Amino acid sequence: MTEEALRAVDVRKTYHTRGAPAVDALRGVSLALRKGERVSLLGRNGAGKTTFLRIASTLLVPTSGTVEVFGLDAVGHPEQVRPLVAVVPQEGKPFFHLTPREQVYAYLRARGVDRETAKARVEEALEQMGIQEVADRLSITLSGGQKQRAMVATVIATEAPLLFLDEPTIGMDPFARRGVWESLRRLTAKGCTILLTTHYLDEAEALSERLYVVEGGRVLVEGTADAIKQQVGGTLKVSIPNGSGLEEELSSFGKIVTDGGTVYVITGPERINEIMGLAMRDRLAATVGPVTLEEAFLQIVGRSIDQDEG
Amino acid sequence: MAFVFRWTGMTTFLATETRVQFHEWLAIGTGSLVQAALLVFVWVLDPSLLSLTVIGAMVYSVFLIGQRVLNEAAYIRIDHKLNELYHASPMSPESYFLGMSIGILVAYTPPLVVLFAILEFLHPMSLAATGMLVLALLCVWAFSSSLGYYISTLFKDMKTIWPYSSLLTNLFGIVPPVFFPLSVLTARFPLAWVPALLVPTSSATALVEAVAGMQALTPVQFLLAAGSLAFLAASMLLFGIYWARRTARES
Repeated sequence: MTEEALRAVDVRKTYHTRGAPAVDALRGVSLALRKGERVSLLGRNGAGKTTFLRIASTLLVPTSGTVEVFGLDAVGHPEQVRPLVAVVPQEGKPFFHLTPREQVYAYLRARGVDRETAKARVEEALEQMGIQEVADRLSITLSGGQKQRAMVATVIATEAPLLFLDEPTIGMDPFARRGVWESLRRLTAKGCTILLTTHYLDEAEALSERLYVVEGGRVLVEGTADAIKQQVGGTLKVSIPNGSGLEEELSSFGKIVTDGGTVYVITGPERINEIMGLAMRDRLAATVGPVTLEEAFLQIVGRSIDQDEG
Repeated sequence: MAFVFRWTGMTTFLATETRVQFHEWLAIGTGSLVQAALLVFVWVLDPSLLSLTVIGAMVYSVFLIGQRVLNEAAYIRIDHKLNELYHASPMSPESYFLGMSIGILVAYTPPLVVLFAILEFLHPMSLAATGMLVLALLCVWAFSSSLGYYISTLFKDMKTIWPYSSLLTNLFGIVPPVFFPLSVLTARFPLAWVPALLVPTSSATALVEAVAGMQALTPVQFLLAAGSLAFLAASMLLFGIYWARRTARES
């Protein structure tokens, strides 16, 4: 097997619906995941994340482009790739008339896992997801977050070499989300590779070694969370009240973003003293904080939207 | 190599589906109400036709299994997205389709056993007639399940699917001579046996009734019924497997 778990080159997908204009969901997405990596796809609703995940996991045929999973052709020979992958579908639900324990076990057996291994993995997955207490209750009686945990348990128990998780922690409380993060870290430590989508940017930052920001069916940027923050001009932001009259002077220190009553100067650590000096000179309240991934995301995607509309 | 069957995971998925269906025991029970009501009507109006109606009820019940495949396949695809969980796995698409279809057949067998017991009481069946009954019911199941699975993949909303389920049930179960003898139809329309014996439900009914000695078929009629039933069942089943493979991946 190759050292790459997934390689996608120029993947395009156009949806044709009768009576409606064609929709270009993917417009040339290329990405690669090394074995054992945890990578997130970030993007707005409709950016193309799920479409890409479904193509890479053999559930959807691309219009063009190539996808290789461990060197195998996922587009031409999906049957060769399927034993190597497992998917948490977006908004998927377990069988309502099975218990989580039955659901995970039945799925493992359907994948060809032997009885003893399946039993052991079921208990491990239920424990990692923190749903042992409800493991023998029919899924129909579980809360939304517990059902989602049952779905994630079903998939992580497979220990498939490549996992695709489409918004895996949606509807979960913060404790449950952290449980999932920990399980995913353990899986990658064992050698599994994970590609996930999420709208929780704290989750993406805490969990992913690399991120791809997708917008309008294209990859806008790729890299570590810090590298992506750098794309907006710096890793720190200085907040100063709007209307101070310093905007022009501040713009020489970095990128200026105005949001309501506050002006943000996005800059690097080397310019902080100068900006603070300026604020003190004019007796203005100024605070320094890190640029969050969410802010970087909003900037990068917002810029792309402006360009497209322009 | 295109049509080499792969059965990975089928028995497990079959067992899963059977288990899921048994939880809906009320649906299994109420699924026999129409047949039971018709039996009561016939018993009141013309008891001599009762054993014929029981055979019709069995064929109709098996045809309904296909409609349950339609609803179940659509439900777990549209509402639960579990098809994605299973399709992105080593389990083959044909195992998914056949596991579900056989699983539902197993779950809905108890009402068939009750109907068979009633039939045995009314009209003891020979070994040949019993064999023909089982074979005919399996053919109807293969046709109906494949048709149901196919239709389930065509829609994105459960509410759109319900009218089709109702339409098919009436088209194949009520309109053709399933609950009434073929002779009733041919008495008024002498050539009506040709289209009637091309419909899998009525050809199945006619064959069982003929072998059980309840109704006479000419050799031509028998051959037409047997040929069309076997052809439709086999071709639909193969098409169902082909379609399951094709729809395991959206295009």
